[in-house]
Amino acid sequence: MSRRRRYEPKTKKNSTFGLNITSMTDMFTIMLVFLLQSYSTSEVQLNPEKDIRLPSSASMTNATESIKLSLSGNELKIDQTKIADVKNADFLPQDLEDKDSNFIKPLFQELDKIAKSETEKDKAHVKEGRILLQADKDLPYATLRKVMYTASMAGFPQLKLVTMVGE
Amino acid sequence: MRRARKIKVDHNSEFELDLAPLLAVMVKLVPVLLVSSAFVQMMVIETELPQVVSEAIQRQENQNTPTNVAMEIDAKDGIRIIITEKGQEKVETIPLKDGAFDMNTLHQKLVAVKKAHPEVFKLELNPDGKVPYDTIVKIMDAARQARDNTVKFPVFDTKQGKNVETNYMFPEIIFANTMEG
Repeated sequence: MSRRRRYEPKTKKNSTFGLNITSMTDMFTIMLVFLLQSYSTSEVQLNPEKDIRLPSSASMTNATESIKLSLSGNELKIDQTKIADVKNADFLPQDLEDKDSNFIKPLFQELDKIAKSETEKDKAHVKEGRILLQADKDLPYATLRKVMYTASMAGFPQLKLVTMVGE
Repeated sequence: MRRARKIKVDHNSEFELDLAPLLAVMVKLVPVLLVSSAFVQMMVIETELPQVVSEAIQRQENQNTPTNVAMEIDAKDGIRIIITEKGQEKVETIPLKDGAFDMNTLHQKLVAVKKAHPEVFKLELNPDGKVPYDTIVKIMDAARQARDNTVKFPVFDTKQGKNVETNYMFPEIIFANTMEG
């Protein structure tokens, strides 16, 4: 009895195969449209702080170059540097001036340093006194007012409130 | 004479489009856009206004006895709109509705105030220390611009010499009690 030979497909050596990339192109086109839509045209890059929930507003004004302050339920920061602690939605007594409870000493010192620094003082945003404030939406006005008051005293009266777009 | 050779055209043939270069471009574009994309859109509240409105604000500041519109926000009682005209005060109160600020009534009242005083663009805000920041932003939103696009207010344009229309109500909002001790 002759044994049946196993079927072996013919393999052509040196052959090439065509990859169907149409579906991949489709996917990339969709991704490209989505990314173009969310492309940022603002001249300033604003990074959302992880422990701050910003209030939402209908304002559609892009941010301009300014000193960036962020006020969360735990701390007050300039850029990424911690300036003062916040506890129970208020500043610690040692950070505040004895006679003037609205005056945050470390914030004033830091802003004063920027206003007088040789490298920073000639920049337009420092001259005009522009500040971008990212603050948590649950904080009371009394806490924010202390930051506004101290910033005005340090020569930064132009306050811009950072908000989220939409509801 | 030689006969012209007839070129055979196969009408049922298919051809494949070479998508590889297109894909190569897209593969490079996607990471570039991913890096510069803003997934969380953040904007700022400030007074960047059309020239006509800015000029009108300037004129208002130059007036000797301008009409003054102020708003007091109290976490317990609600919102009070105080209009001071020729030394006389007129107060309108918007009480709390179900324990929250009544933004719709506030907006309607502010539209009425703006219609009565189209020359006023500045609003002084006096919030109570206990009012949350979120509420203040919502109130500023209600005061800055008319929500209904059909509602327009006249502004006198000095260049054209006639009134033009805008939907800005009180775009210049000042925290009046910041510097009080």
